[in-house]
Amino acid sequence: MIEVKGLTKKFGNFTAVKDISFQVKAGETFALLGPNGSGKTTILKCITGLMSPTSGHIWINGIDVWKNSWEAKSLLSYLPQRVAFYENLTAREVLEFYCRLRKLPLDRIDQVLEKLHFSFNGFADRSVSEFSGGMIQRLGIAVAFLPNAPLLLLDEPTASLDPEGAIKFRKLIAMLKQEGKTILFSSHVLSDIEQLADRVAILVGGKLAAVESVEILKNAIRVNSRMRLLLNNPNENFIKTALDAGATEAKLLDAHLVVSSKPEDRLSILQALSKAGAIIKWFSTEEPSFEEIYLKYTL
Amino acid sequence: MIFGGGENIKLMDFNTVTTIAHQELKINIRAKWTLVFAGGFGIIALAISYFGLVTAGFVGFQGFTRTSASLLNLVLYLIPVVSLMMGTLSFTGEKSANELLFSQPVTRSEILLGKILGLFLSITTATFIGFGLAGFVIAVQVGTEGLTRFLAFVGLGLLLALVFLSLSAMVAILSGKKAKAFGFSLFLWFFFVLLYDLLVIGLTFVFKERTANIFIFLSLFGNPVDMVRVSSLILLNGTTIFGAAGAALVKFLGGQMASSLLLISALGVWVATPLLISDRVLRKQDI
Repeated sequence: MIEVKGLTKKFGNFTAVKDISFQVKAGETFALLGPNGSGKTTILKCITGLMSPTSGHIWINGIDVWKNSWEAKSLLSYLPQRVAFYENLTAREVLEFYCRLRKLPLDRIDQVLEKLHFSFNGFADRSVSEFSGGMIQRLGIAVAFLPNAPLLLLDEPTASLDPEGAIKFRKLIAMLKQEGKTILFSSHVLSDIEQLADRVAILVGGKLAAVESVEILKNAIRVNSRMRLLLNNPNENFIKTALDAGATEAKLLDAHLVVSSKPEDRLSILQALSKAGAIIKWFSTEEPSFEEIYLKYTL
Repeated sequence: MIFGGGENIKLMDFNTVTTIAHQELKINIRAKWTLVFAGGFGIIALAISYFGLVTAGFVGFQGFTRTSASLLNLVLYLIPVVSLMMGTLSFTGEKSANELLFSQPVTRSEILLGKILGLFLSITTATFIGFGLAGFVIAVQVGTEGLTRFLAFVGLGLLLALVFLSLSAMVAILSGKKAKAFGFSLFLWFFFVLLYDLLVIGLTFVFKERTANIFIFLSLFGNPVDMVRVSSLILLNGTTIFGAAGAALVKFLGGQMASSLLLISALGVWVATPLLISDRVLRKQDI
């Protein structure tokens, strides 16, 4: 469905994205994962035809996005990271405008609002200036879902949603996956990637560090899950005890024993340490940070 | 008409253009700009018509021809600045709103033309409401003599609006940033309304008489404000009072009709050229 080949985008002397290549198959949910400034939005904007690549090519169903942008854009629907609308229009007027641009019948609006379970709390006929950030994001999502496009490009779609909105949105994506839509979204929220994506491209400083299936990424996260134990009787011998009980890594930092392991091995490690005489005053669990995951892929 | 987005070629869809124009008009009407300008135009036209001859010891409504002549300089000052400000505001609008719009399957040329058309309709609405109400009062008070000239004068004002909307689009697209675009727009207004004539007059001293006359004649086409001024005065039968450039033009072309047609065609070029430059730049610009 999407083929990105050798994509580089420069802004003056600054290279935002460097030599990126990946493919997204039809019906796949593909995520771009990376911190702010890693190039996720630039890649999505290049795919949408909003930005021209400095070098490289992008095809959607074999159509060159920049050379035949109108044709390519008719296959996709895009939700920008920060959605904004003219404040003196109502939500319904905004939706009607995009319906007309896409040459869709106006009754499509009610169908989409029903499908999304977005009622706008009775605000549909009120000015967008009265909307909260979350409601504007919902309106942006509604606009993106109007055309029933086979390809959805979503830039940080859950960033401005409240927890309830985010849950609804994840359910919606799951439903669209079942309908066979191709979805490409960017996020820096690991739980979004874990729940929604089939594959993920990891971006570091504008470069592609890896393209992995989410299962492999999950495993990387699981293996790197950590426990931090505060011991009353710290002892170097407890390192070996933890490693023997299944830890992938263990180290003693003053009175803290830091143990990396799969989550399912945590209990047996705790039991082994207790049996070996460790007096555990307190413990906490930690998920690996982005940086740690990136390091795994970049080193 | 064939226009494209990126490198592709696609027939322009006028339904898309009118949809965007309708949206632009709605935004401007809701933002109350249109009503403010309509009110302003109406009050100024009535005031000028009523008090226009106060220095001659007469107070009361003048006919359409005199009102048009009195309004001329004000229109030449106001219409360019109103058009430049509205255009710049629209073309440097909310970036995120533009992202959503430009990601739709519409060409950038359609967006550009739709916005220009919507802005032009906003100014046309303001002008018709303002000058229309004033015209109604004048017609009731002193009759309809000279109404056709007044309407043609309003038409020339709208053509001037279209020129400056086109320039505002070019300035906004080339500048990219709002503050920069507003700065350039204000400079353009200052240049065409105030500075240009001073420069031309200054330069005529450099040339010999015959060359200076040709220079003055040609200089007319370098300033749309001057072209509308001359066209309006030809229209209002004021050829004897508008100076060397206009007199030279009318003489050179052998008639008022030919001069008017030439000036209106030249104004058409002033509309089309910035639009074509804007279109070319916008097609390759990052949003």
